[in-house]
Amino acid sequence: MDVLIQIVASGLTLGAMYAVATIGLSLVYGSLNMLNMAHGAILTLGGYICYAAIVHAGLHPVLALLAAALVCALVGLLIYFSAALPLLRAENFETNIFIATIGIGSVIENLMLKGFGPYPIPQPLAVDGQVVIGNVHIPLQNVFILGVAIVLMAAVAILLQRTSTGRAIRATSMNREAAQLMGVRVGRVYAQVLALSGALAAVSGIMISSIATLTPVMGGDPMLKAFIVCVVAGLGNVYGAVIAAIALGLLEAATQYVLGVRWSFATLLLLVILVLIWRPYGLFGKQQVVRL
Amino acid sequence: MVDAALDIINASAGYSGRIVLDAIKLSARKGELTAIVGPNGHGKSTLLKAISGLVPVTSGEIRLDGLRIDRLRPDQIVERGVIQVPQGDLLFPAMTVHENLLMGAYANSGRLAERLDFVFTLLPRLKERRNQTAGTLSGGERRMCGIGRGLMAGGEVLMLDEPSLGLAPIVIEHIYEVIFNLRREGRTILLVEENAERIAEHADMIHLLDNGRIAWSGLGAELMARPEIVETYLGV
Amino acid sequence: MTSTRRDILIGVVCLALAIALPLVMPGRYIITQSTLFFIWAIIVVQWNLVLGIGGIFSLAQMALFATGAYATAMLGFYWKMPMLAAIPMAGVVSVAVGMLIGLACLRLRGPYVALLTLAIAQVMYVLIVNDTDCFTTTGGCMPLFGGVRGIGQFGDIGLRALFPSKWYIAHYYVGLALLAVAVTISIVVIRGPLGLAFRALRDNHGYAMSRGISRFKYQLWIFAVSAFFTGIAGGFYAVHFRVVGPTVFSFSTLLFLIAMIVIGGLGSIWGPLLGAAVLMLADEGMRELSDYRNIGLGLLLAVFVIAWPNGLNGWLQRSRAGRD
Repeated sequence: MDVLIQIVASGLTLGAMYAVATIGLSLVYGSLNMLNMAHGAILTLGGYICYAAIVHAGLHPVLALLAAALVCALVGLLIYFSAALPLLRAENFETNIFIATIGIGSVIENLMLKGFGPYPIPQPLAVDGQVVIGNVHIPLQNVFILGVAIVLMAAVAILLQRTSTGRAIRATSMNREAAQLMGVRVGRVYAQVLALSGALAAVSGIMISSIATLTPVMGGDPMLKAFIVCVVAGLGNVYGAVIAAIALGLLEAATQYVLGVRWSFATLLLLVILVLIWRPYGLFGKQQVVRL
Repeated sequence: MVDAALDIINASAGYSGRIVLDAIKLSARKGELTAIVGPNGHGKSTLLKAISGLVPVTSGEIRLDGLRIDRLRPDQIVERGVIQVPQGDLLFPAMTVHENLLMGAYANSGRLAERLDFVFTLLPRLKERRNQTAGTLSGGERRMCGIGRGLMAGGEVLMLDEPSLGLAPIVIEHIYEVIFNLRREGRTILLVEENAERIAEHADMIHLLDNGRIAWSGLGAELMARPEIVETYLGV
Repeated sequence: MTSTRRDILIGVVCLALAIALPLVMPGRYIITQSTLFFIWAIIVVQWNLVLGIGGIFSLAQMALFATGAYATAMLGFYWKMPMLAAIPMAGVVSVAVGMLIGLACLRLRGPYVALLTLAIAQVMYVLIVNDTDCFTTTGGCMPLFGGVRGIGQFGDIGLRALFPSKWYIAHYYVGLALLAVAVTISIVVIRGPLGLAFRALRDNHGYAMSRGISRFKYQLWIFAVSAFFTGIAGGFYAVHFRVVGPTVFSFSTLLFLIAMIVIGGLGSIWGPLLGAAVLMLADEGMRELSDYRNIGLGLLLAVFVIAWPNGLNGWLQRSRAGRD
């Protein structure tokens, strides 16, 4: 029983962090058809900015978090204007933007390597203390993360469902031409989505580094996992991605316990491969009818 | 020209190097139903897309109430009141009927409740299905939702691309009843239709589009009186 | 001049120049760098078959290269197999792995393939690096796949023994020969019926399928064909550098290769080679900047793709077309 609580606790925390990292990716792919390979670097950037804001600028942790989110939102905008916008005018957008963002991500990551050095730094935005359930001690930090994640996801859900901006984003994802005919300025939607994705990545990066540590290359793994979550859920399906993220977190916690950390990623991947062979469009994705 | 809402003046348009429309000259007069007919694949949809700003106009002009709109962004054209109900509806499948209608009012959200009322009165089936996801509607209901969505925008000129496409005859009649009602109420309507017979009676002006050019223009009655045109171009 | 004749002409000229190089500039640095260039060029040319011609968004090429390298090293280390046998075997192993990956990606489209292949490569890397159990203790603790330190002492193809002071020139010619064969195969595939089928599948796969071209069969074929020489390149890399470690999975190398194929132009025959040459030269230029190398590389890649979405080769073709 204790083991179960432990696994669920870690699993939910992991899942929450993945979910926050994934929402942005899913929105960006859904509306833009863009796989943002710089996402991991932005996530890492968020963690470092938060660190620098607290340690070097003496900001209050909440302000530091906001600062990180803001900076990363701006980076998202920068990516829109410098890469997505010009490439949307040419052919092969999907491939080109994939590669361009690989380059951009590498630049960001190496700038952080240059600026902060390769050695792990602890993330100062952390809460001490524990919550005790039965015989199990759960770090308060985990509960905190879960709380923040829930709040964020609720906020995003409200944005998407109840505001006209959110409706415009959903409409653009579903049918870009129709959205244009409704008077939606799709360019602005793209910029908004990339900015939002950046901010969410920053928060996710802060969360992840608060449990692990800050290193310049920490973004690669979470990004890959976030992508896997998106793929399993069906790219573009935001709500499915959240569910899949939590499931992935639980699964990872379970396999880590049973098989050890080393094998958990491999097992996860095997499962994902099997899922994709069984359902090539993801668990919740719908096959797109291609009109020939 | 006082009466023209929409003027297309020697406009050519096309996709990446391929010219689809060649020096089109026609007007949609205020309060009238102007129809574009012709065989499929000859540019009718492209014309509407060019007016809506989705396909670039390579030469010539398009004017709304005398002001040029051919260089504007699609969202700007919608803001100025030129609304298109596209071919195949292009509804937002995961949104409800209600949300689709709300999207219709995106560019012009004033008097929302009033306009929703108007649409629901005109198309009562939509009211019944207002919380249903658009992807689950029947063909006729989808068409109605598309038209309702177009009406939510208010707007000066309503353009419809093949409203009868893929529907059963009885449904088509109902759809056209709605359209002709709108015409009677004084809306400016630009209609693209493959089957000219159906609208010949009601259209104030018919233009025949063949191979990207206007091959014939005139009144509906005139068209029906010229069976050779009907046969050559409309292959009925 | 027909395009095939032009290809042959270009090929012969390049080959002649390459053969002449060591006679003109026998400096060790240039020769060994050129040999490295050959290895990367082989990978990129084969990768082009999958990515550019097949239109399959696979990032697995690095993993296949690593498979070839590791297979060679392990065959030599554990079974004492002579390298001249091990390297072709490694090619076969790579084909098997390549076909498995092809199978996994079969029903997937576009970005899904990219993610999956990236994930597969990452998992391989993680498995190798995190393995700390000692599989063998001869000469110190070594995990099954060599762990972080890698595998060494698995043998040689014998040229070091034959030409003690000039072995690197011998390796240069071996690399050149392998590249020449790889490029020839690439041309044969692209200009032949296989290439036509791939292009049909990529450009309009619904129609292609209705004409009987089976995506299944051709997708597996292209993975297999491209994997063989990639694996061989891995084997050659192994004997050239005499140690194989997890750095073959390094992301900066993947970045380097992506830049080559993108800048040179996807889908063209000579594009990847051009891209490889350009990038090796750029890398030389940036060598002074050591720290900033990766930043420079990333920037170069991003700027290039944004400014010229069709790559160097496409640009050359368009300017040639403009002149005609």
